[in-house]
Amino acid sequence: MKFSQTLAALAMTAALGTGAASAQVNVMLPANPGGGWDGTGRQAFQALNDAGIYTGGVNFTNTGGAGGTVGLAEFLGTSTGQPDALAVFGAITVGAIALNNSPINLAEFRPVARLTAEYLVVAVAADSPYNTLADLVAAIKADPGAHPVGGGSAGGVDNIAVALLAQAGDIPVADLNYIPQTSGAETVTAIVNGTLTAGVSGTSEFSQFAQQGRIKLLAVTSAERRPNLPDVPTFHEAGYDVEIANWRGILAAPGAPDDNYATWVDRFTQLSKSDAWKQVLETQGWEDYFLAGDEFGTFIAEETERQGQILKDAGLVN
Amino acid sequence: METFELLLHGFSVALQPTNLMWALVGSVLGTAIGILPGIGPALTIALLLPVTTALAPTSAFIMFAGILYGAMYGGSTTSILLNTPGEAGSMMTALEGNKMARAGRGAAALATAAIGSFVAGTIATLALTFAAPAVAELAFYFKPTDYFAITALAFCSVAVVMGTSRTRGFVSLFLGIAIGVIGIDTMTGQPRLTFGNMQLLRGIALTVVLVSLFAVGEILYVASRYRSTPGVMAPIKGQLWMTKQDWARSWKPWLRGTAIGFPMGALPGSGSEIPTMLSYTLERKLTKHPEEFGKGAIEGVAGPEAANNAAAAGILVPLLTLGLPTSATAAVLLAAFQNYGLQPGPFLFTSNPALIWGLIASLYVGNVMLLVLNLPLVGIWVQLLRIPRPQLYAGILVFAMIGVWGLAGSWMDLTIMLVVGLGGYVMRVYDFPIAPVLIGLILGPMAETQLRTALAAGQGNPLVLVSTPLSAVLITLAVLLLALPILLKRLRANA
Amino acid sequence: MSTDGNNTTEGGSPTAAPASPKPYWIGIGLMVLGAVWLYNAFGLPQGARYAAVGPGLFVTVAGAGLLVLGAVLVLQIWRGESFVAQDAEDADGATKMDKRAFVTALLAVALPIATMGPLGMPFTATLSFVLVANAFGSRRWWLDIIYGGILACASWFLFAQLGLQLGRFFPPLGV
Repeated sequence: MKFSQTLAALAMTAALGTGAASAQVNVMLPANPGGGWDGTGRQAFQALNDAGIYTGGVNFTNTGGAGGTVGLAEFLGTSTGQPDALAVFGAITVGAIALNNSPINLAEFRPVARLTAEYLVVAVAADSPYNTLADLVAAIKADPGAHPVGGGSAGGVDNIAVALLAQAGDIPVADLNYIPQTSGAETVTAIVNGTLTAGVSGTSEFSQFAQQGRIKLLAVTSAERRPNLPDVPTFHEAGYDVEIANWRGILAAPGAPDDNYATWVDRFTQLSKSDAWKQVLETQGWEDYFLAGDEFGTFIAEETERQGQILKDAGLVN
Repeated sequence: METFELLLHGFSVALQPTNLMWALVGSVLGTAIGILPGIGPALTIALLLPVTTALAPTSAFIMFAGILYGAMYGGSTTSILLNTPGEAGSMMTALEGNKMARAGRGAAALATAAIGSFVAGTIATLALTFAAPAVAELAFYFKPTDYFAITALAFCSVAVVMGTSRTRGFVSLFLGIAIGVIGIDTMTGQPRLTFGNMQLLRGIALTVVLVSLFAVGEILYVASRYRSTPGVMAPIKGQLWMTKQDWARSWKPWLRGTAIGFPMGALPGSGSEIPTMLSYTLERKLTKHPEEFGKGAIEGVAGPEAANNAAAAGILVPLLTLGLPTSATAAVLLAAFQNYGLQPGPFLFTSNPALIWGLIASLYVGNVMLLVLNLPLVGIWVQLLRIPRPQLYAGILVFAMIGVWGLAGSWMDLTIMLVVGLGGYVMRVYDFPIAPVLIGLILGPMAETQLRTALAAGQGNPLVLVSTPLSAVLITLAVLLLALPILLKRLRANA
Repeated sequence: MSTDGNNTTEGGSPTAAPASPKPYWIGIGLMVLGAVWLYNAFGLPQGARYAAVGPGLFVTVAGAGLLVLGAVLVLQIWRGESFVAQDAEDADGATKMDKRAFVTALLAVALPIATMGPLGMPFTATLSFVLVANAFGSRRWWLDIIYGGILACASWFLFAQLGLQLGRFFPPLGV
């Protein structure tokens, strides 16, 4: 008898717990726990809560894999037409969709807000003969095969940044010897042991290794010099008209009702101005890169176009 | 001296009350799973992986380390008292330990196992403490071709050594490699063997394969050939402490076992079976009491137990310093690091010293805890074996299910669990070794990435694969390992 | 690691008969598997601009390896290679297979594919628990339902607390 009573009590608690949960927002984090997207989603909702903008329940789902395309495909299936369903995604998703021939079309989703960005840096070994971006580009141009460049996954932002740099420097993109690495730390190891001539990764990833004196930072992909890296010139300064960032943002489900959609755009707009969010950006070392609603939609369309073209030029996509 | 300071700092992390509590949780859990059949440290940590979202990395790794060491302690208990090794590494302990227990010297056997584990664990942790920072610098000299050579040698050795025949070893290995290529190719983004299925794009998770091969395969196999009369438990008799003579006969095997186990554990693919086997053979050769071997020689317990624990510390060296997993447990720990967005390797020592040194310090703490937990309390631990088998195996399946479902809530993973579990059953029935599957699955993708990186950097010249001294030596060894038995056979036939 | 030891216990009696005299199907199965991998490899680029080897290489190697090993195995079986079931803790390789127990346990593993989503984890786990216990000879199914139910519900709460995504408690009731 005792057992069944306990069971009943357990079931009651479960009913209460999940009953409240039905008024929640469902958030798809298309990455495994611990990564940048996971952090962006969880921190953003924590800040929404702290700032008192949205204090309701949040139900996170982590579905990692293939640059977010696996998670977004699942999101498309489970959440289409739902009022309060959001997904985190980013620049990498754009390239991954093209690369994997994914059936996902980002234009189908409703763009809520672009939140953060991280700029990329190009680095060489501390004892490398190349001291400027121009030196490096000249060397690659002379013999692209003998100067392997590494960074994140094929078709990801790092790869696209290298491809854009090559284009700006009159190097055929298809001639590049780009070798994907599993992480920023791996890229640094490969630069130091001489496997790679140069590497690309996010500023936060590389700057600690530059401080340790393992690598030299040649240039950053932002429009202006970063405050935390005052000595690193931009690509523009170095003479290459390239600007690219690893941005992250929020999508609402396709067919979400206009009212709910507008509410979420409004909430994230408030978030971007809140102190709670500024605090998060500072502690996480993320750049503010806010853009909301339809303007963000236009941006996504432009990025899709730009990345698709460069992947074609690189021979990664037919 | 700098190492010493860092270690002290590590102790200040490991001795925080919360971390002490997690070390205790890990030690208790580890001892329990070491004693229980059908579930080992790799499996346990794999099942706990999703929990990492809720736990600080330092606490999680301190708990995992406790599980790793604890399983080694627990495994010896069942070997000695029941003649049923809970872990592969405790097989050798059973040979002499159970005989000792039946001869009424169970307490001494348990004591030499526990103290030997403690001595070996502590010495090996010391070696890890001072070797790791130096080995970490090697990461800047090792090139992709070296890593490829390491994996190639591991493949050959594991397939040749494990299992009843080389064919079966290689079948297992290639099954692992074949599973490993499923999913998106990390270097080009090409989907491979996904058959158009979205869920297969991310590949087959190591946890699912581990759980399926070990837990599910074991449950199916034991169910079909269940021996409902469990082994007879030898009572814990004799003096609870070792005699003066026991000490005299134990301390050298402990040290020799440690010396064998630690470096062997650091080598890919050797697991814990080979060092324990080597230690046993060595003690049998060196003993002054050869007549006792096979009838309960204490050296035969002391040596392998020490080797076993030292090997467990050994696997941490390449894992922490080079990000190179040498066993299933190490691969699961690597996955845990990656869950936290951490990449084991030389930079982890500089970027996250609190974690690394906290983990290392916790190994010392855990060893002391385990000695206390195991030596006087062994009588309580063996009570675990009273859990009725039907409910025990049923419970293991429930946890396996939670581990697989909790990964991503995907029915695809559950389907894979069924298929691979059936495979695990067939492998047990027809005596194919299980370990090479995991080595293939873990090191296969690594071998591929390193091979392709090496060739891309070398612009396609295959000679680049033997371009460094280390790679040349290792590739030669791998080829010899394959060709030698055949050559010897030929020579003998001709003679 | 779990017990995958050959010759771990003395229980494996020397009289153990080969589990099956001629398991040709294993060799053939491996060859089929190898063929599937090889077939897939042909759809993948074998080369790359600089690396000379591409994403197809390892798929080809795995496929070809399995094909060849399957053939070797068939040959060895034909020559009379024997296959002796492994011993495990609680299992005796020499005993005859208990088909009913095996099928019951298999059902417990297969069941979650169908019920985990629609009926939730606690229900599914309880059912599987009862089935496995039954396969191992437990006949007090009502007691197993209670044990399994407690274990399943307790772990659902514990692991959900720890952040695992285990789904709803009992989806048909919407809780």
